[in-house]
Amino acid sequence: MPDFTDKLRPSQPDGPTTLARERQQSKISVDELSRHLLSSDGFLERQARVLPILQREPMLSKEKQQNLSRPERFKLGLARAKLLRRLTDQHQWSHEDYKMAEYLVDDVSPYFLHMEMFVTTIREQASEAQRAYWLPLIEEWKIIGAYGQTELGHGSNVRGLELEARWDSRTKEFVLHSPTLTASKWWNGSLGRIANHSIVVAQLLLPKPGSPDQYVSHGPHPFIVQVRDMKTHQPLDGVVIGDIGPKYGYVTMDNAYMLFDNFRIPHSAMLCRYSSVNPETGAYTKPEQPALVYGSLTYVRANIVHHARLVLARAVTVAVRYTAIRRQFQDRDSDKSGPEMSVLDYPTVQIRILPLLATTFALHYTGLAMRSVYQTTRNDVEQGDFRSLAHMHSMSSGLKSLCTMLAADGIETCRRALGGHGFGGGSGLIQLNNDYLSKPTVEGDNWMITQQVAAYLIKKMTAAAKSPNTPGADKTEAGFKDFIRNKQSAGQRQSVHDVLNRDQDIVKSFGLRATALAYDVYEQRVLKKQSWNNLLIQLHKLSKAQSQSILVATFYEALSTDNTLPNSSKDIMWDLYRLFALHTMENEGYEFFRCNAVSQADLNNLPARVQDLMARIRPHAVKLVDSWMIPDYLLDSALGRYDGRVYEDLYNRAHRLNPLNSITFNPNYWEEEIVKGSGDNGSGILSKL
Amino acid sequence: MPSPPPDWVKALKPSGPQGSELLAQERAQSNINIDKLSELLHTKEALDRQQKMLSLLEPEKVFDKSQNHTLGRVERLQRSLAKAKRLQQLAEENQWSMEELHAANELIGEPTPYGLHASMFLVTLREQGSPEQHKLFLERAAKYEIIGCYAQTELGHGSNVRGLETTAIWNQEDQTFTINSPTLTASKWWIGSLGRTANHAVVMAQLFIGGKNFGPHPFVVQVRDLKTHQPLENVYVGDIGPKFGYNTMDNGFLLFNNVKIPHINMLARFSRIEKETGKYIRPALPSLVYGTLTWVRSNIVLQSGGVLARGVTIATRYAAVRRQFQDRDAEPSAGENQVLNYKMVQVRLLPLLASMYALHFTGRGMMKLYQENQSRMKAAASPGQNSRGPGPEELRAGADLLADLHATSCGLKALASTTAGEGLEVCRRACGGHGYSSYSGIGSYYADYLPTLTWEGDNYMLTQQVARYLLKSARAVLSGKAADNDTSRILKTYLDRRDKGASFDVLEEDKDIVEAFAWRTAHLTFEALKHRDAEKRSWNSLLVDFWRLSTAHSQYLVVRNFYEAVSSPELAQALDPETKTLMHALFRLYALHTLEREAAEFFSSGAVTVRQITLTRTTAVMKLLDEIRPHAISLVDAWAIPDWQLDSSLGRSDGKVYEDLFRRASQENPVNDLVFDPYPWNAAILKNEAPKSKL
Repeated sequence: MPDFTDKLRPSQPDGPTTLARERQQSKISVDELSRHLLSSDGFLERQARVLPILQREPMLSKEKQQNLSRPERFKLGLARAKLLRRLTDQHQWSHEDYKMAEYLVDDVSPYFLHMEMFVTTIREQASEAQRAYWLPLIEEWKIIGAYGQTELGHGSNVRGLELEARWDSRTKEFVLHSPTLTASKWWNGSLGRIANHSIVVAQLLLPKPGSPDQYVSHGPHPFIVQVRDMKTHQPLDGVVIGDIGPKYGYVTMDNAYMLFDNFRIPHSAMLCRYSSVNPETGAYTKPEQPALVYGSLTYVRANIVHHARLVLARAVTVAVRYTAIRRQFQDRDSDKSGPEMSVLDYPTVQIRILPLLATTFALHYTGLAMRSVYQTTRNDVEQGDFRSLAHMHSMSSGLKSLCTMLAADGIETCRRALGGHGFGGGSGLIQLNNDYLSKPTVEGDNWMITQQVAAYLIKKMTAAAKSPNTPGADKTEAGFKDFIRNKQSAGQRQSVHDVLNRDQDIVKSFGLRATALAYDVYEQRVLKKQSWNNLLIQLHKLSKAQSQSILVATFYEALSTDNTLPNSSKDIMWDLYRLFALHTMENEGYEFFRCNAVSQADLNNLPARVQDLMARIRPHAVKLVDSWMIPDYLLDSALGRYDGRVYEDLYNRAHRLNPLNSITFNPNYWEEEIVKGSGDNGSGILSKL
Repeated sequence: MPSPPPDWVKALKPSGPQGSELLAQERAQSNINIDKLSELLHTKEALDRQQKMLSLLEPEKVFDKSQNHTLGRVERLQRSLAKAKRLQQLAEENQWSMEELHAANELIGEPTPYGLHASMFLVTLREQGSPEQHKLFLERAAKYEIIGCYAQTELGHGSNVRGLETTAIWNQEDQTFTINSPTLTASKWWIGSLGRTANHAVVMAQLFIGGKNFGPHPFVVQVRDLKTHQPLENVYVGDIGPKFGYNTMDNGFLLFNNVKIPHINMLARFSRIEKETGKYIRPALPSLVYGTLTWVRSNIVLQSGGVLARGVTIATRYAAVRRQFQDRDAEPSAGENQVLNYKMVQVRLLPLLASMYALHFTGRGMMKLYQENQSRMKAAASPGQNSRGPGPEELRAGADLLADLHATSCGLKALASTTAGEGLEVCRRACGGHGYSSYSGIGSYYADYLPTLTWEGDNYMLTQQVARYLLKSARAVLSGKAADNDTSRILKTYLDRRDKGASFDVLEEDKDIVEAFAWRTAHLTFEALKHRDAEKRSWNSLLVDFWRLSTAHSQYLVVRNFYEAVSSPELAQALDPETKTLMHALFRLYALHTLEREAAEFFSSGAVTVRQITLTRTTAVMKLLDEIRPHAISLVDAWAIPDWQLDSSLGRSDGKVYEDLFRRASQENPVNDLVFDPYPWNAAILKNEAPKSKL
């Protein structure tokens, strides 16, 4: 309906004018930089190809989704997942194409577990015969599966799982049984309302040899189990399943609870590529190489690290564009005649956003490095060489913890830097924040898994300390030996690292600080026999230091050696490297200073240097975020639109897309009626309780 | 709702030891007198009031919370209005006092569409209206015959009130004002209770008389018809849409197309226009206006402890019930360890536990100061005050009774709300996977609280006002014209001892901890002064330094207030010696943990040595965690937050975490009523339902 607001325009200078000016003032070639960042694996080409297909589908419009109730929003999520699957057939999409579509639609798919963990587990843990039977059913979507490991009472500690799979030697079956309420499966995605099959991880109980009435647990093992009827889609007898209810995010995922009551499954249900039970004797065969089980988890973690850059880039894109457009107050030192200042010109805004902009690039290069370490290690393992496995595992754990934390906290920092409008649905950061906040917990709680990093480093340091004068078995150990030899030869002295002037010295300084922390922890745990529990906080700090050191080193390495880096952005990329590293150093100043990784004079100069770097990066900020090539459709943000029409879009969303505005309320408290003219005396509201 | 589970499920119990047993054990191992501590924190009167309100609200079906997380936005707001109506009916029936209504709102735990009417609309009419206007607007508003809101913020302007674009032009010929929105960015935006509920608004607009701008002023404008509840002609008003939180509030937008209102509608207690001549009369006492803001900010500080307490209560109780892994150094036969025994969990939760006490005592100190100042102000309302320019920027340090309090309230508002807001998220993450469930009770509460970090002064913007005040105080100290207050004292102390250096024994002496915080603030103040006055650096380039300075100053204030509270005779009288010792331990934990986190500033200012920081980190904080750990549950129990208010499976006072999570998932979750067709090539979403688009 037309009204007088149609002709209103935002006050000047408006968003498009401001962004055009921003884009003029930087010489960066967005095309070149985005190709450098995103074209090596066909990402850009794929994005350009898939996006228009999605934008044609009304079902995939994001306009009103924020208003729906949980059941409605879930239904929409399933409808979209179905559509994407059909589009895959229609356009003959590869798996990568499909992933791109999922990324752009930005709903967590209720099919996710079917397409990832369910099929992966069958591939990796099923015997050849089992694979031959199940894989065609899965790939042709004849069955839909999920992955049931975590329980109500147990997550990270897999050995503590309570669900039992007891071998019945009489009938040659396993009996699945939940002995307690805490044994209920919980959080298992795609299982709550969708899947009819599931991998179920349960304690394998076998009769004790010699005394068949007593059972011994052989630890958690995976089984494939049908849980719902193929026709009615109702749970089978002896199985109770449901969705666990509303969550902070992940609204389109049916995370499940699931309980079993003496539910019988055949011998063939146990996935037996590695361990198996002899159906005749009930005897157990152990896996040959237990470390292999780490494989898929590490893969998932490596992917989380790589993905973190795009997640953070989304938030930073919105923040940079909007704070460039948004104006607030005049400069205090100015004559106050010009327009208000662009918020991005305030150092208090820069210090929140620009280090995060730098972080997107740090995450990018580290993600690439993590992937290549994964590939190398995988090849080694295929060749029967397991030596690099522990290193990769430690690296992926530490980076997963640090990178997801940087991204999750970064999204929220960006959202708050947007001021009031950051809180509104038009910011585009709300679902992102809600969904991504699961990441610091899933696939290894960020605090828990840092212990694995520290344990690995303590082991390495212990080995290094045994014979500091021999060559180390690998780079880490060699570095540790250097440190120990230097420690023995020198007393307290000034830092030799010139972090303000030499880029490579920054790398060394980060390395020294991580190594010094590793040595401290080694000293306290191994030499002074301190309790593990008392050291947990330091272990966490050690893991963080080690991972920050990797981020800085790979960033430096990439800029020094990558010849696809375009000339037009070289200088600015080095400034971003310095900003990321020195801002991190400033935050952890004490740790660097303590071990002489930085001098006190340099430490005192860090804030000024950081501010100087931000001033140098500031003019390029808009083009730098442009280079991440995040389409408006994915951003779904009035504040972050490429064209800068912020206020028009905010108003359009409020005025035209908001279903609440089609309802007139009766505001008088003495009248029970809520919707004006409905004549409903309030019973309609109450009846739904 | 879904049908109840089969008997074999009903018979299941969580694996032992049960949550209830673990919490009982926790409570047995601490001999804190919880009731005494509760009374010290809240007063007996407030605890009784809470109990009374709880017994009235909990049985009413309309206040049921079970579907809060499931409903769509439209239904949710309808429900919220129903709650607001019922609450107002109860208030009338039972003749509730303001405190009682406030307590009831706290228990319900989410904003309602009457929120801004009951607070800002009534307050503004009362404080800024003339007696005649009270009769015309306030009396009807108090009876809810008209329902209003407070419309200041615009689409393009928030903190910078002088930048507002809505105009009010005085028409001498017919003695009216024309209210107009010249641009789209002039649209009022974020205005609570306006979107669908209010029929009136106090509108802040730039006053123009004869082409001259007199700055923003408040006008009462009717926006909807009292009968049809439809917008009046040339008024465009609506709800701004879904948000991160606060979705039970109808935050609104509002545009005017040259709407005329009579002379009487400009609130005229302070500034006004002479009807006959069109002459503008200046405000008599401008400071009173920002006195209200100081009061609002002081309230945010006071409430922040309780906000954080909700998260800490939930996370601490759940960490005592939840068990994970065996202790790496324990016997293999030992059961799994309570998560709360892990140092990694303690170091996240216990400093927050200390913070909630710190903020609470600080908020009380703040309020006391405010009230003292109010009565002194009233007594000293001298004519000399007229010469001061409007607004906080123009204050002269030392000359004004309110200046110190104003700066204090700005800095503490920023620190306290940031600590509480971020603390809630730390608590949520400390709950592991279940923290992500809505049934944890933290997520939506956090989302509802977050705007507090932005409204009543954005937390980053505010720090400039603190820095400005400290710089002025420092200049006054240097020129020998310092006011007699604590800020001047710490600056002088620093100047006197700067050459000799500090030697604070922060590891042994509580008093020295306070002095070390003061030292760091003074050091940063004089550093900033050097940059600004000697080096002539631009204001803009110093904003980051100012923000650090403000944070340091506010941390000092919290540490000082906490120290004064735990050393006070009132506390000694109210608590047994053991609980009192524990309060000191909380003080030390808050202070030393903060000191350790801000280590670089402490040693570069020379307040402490690197060795002291190392000892703080490796020894002192660890010992404090050990000392406080056994009392953690009692310390959150003492906060006395009712289960109904917490609305959390994880934080239940009886420890029945898993039973409750399961009950809600299986019984209160409407998704489980739906049977889906899972196959992609069937377009139908539900079994036996025709496909339809739900957009």
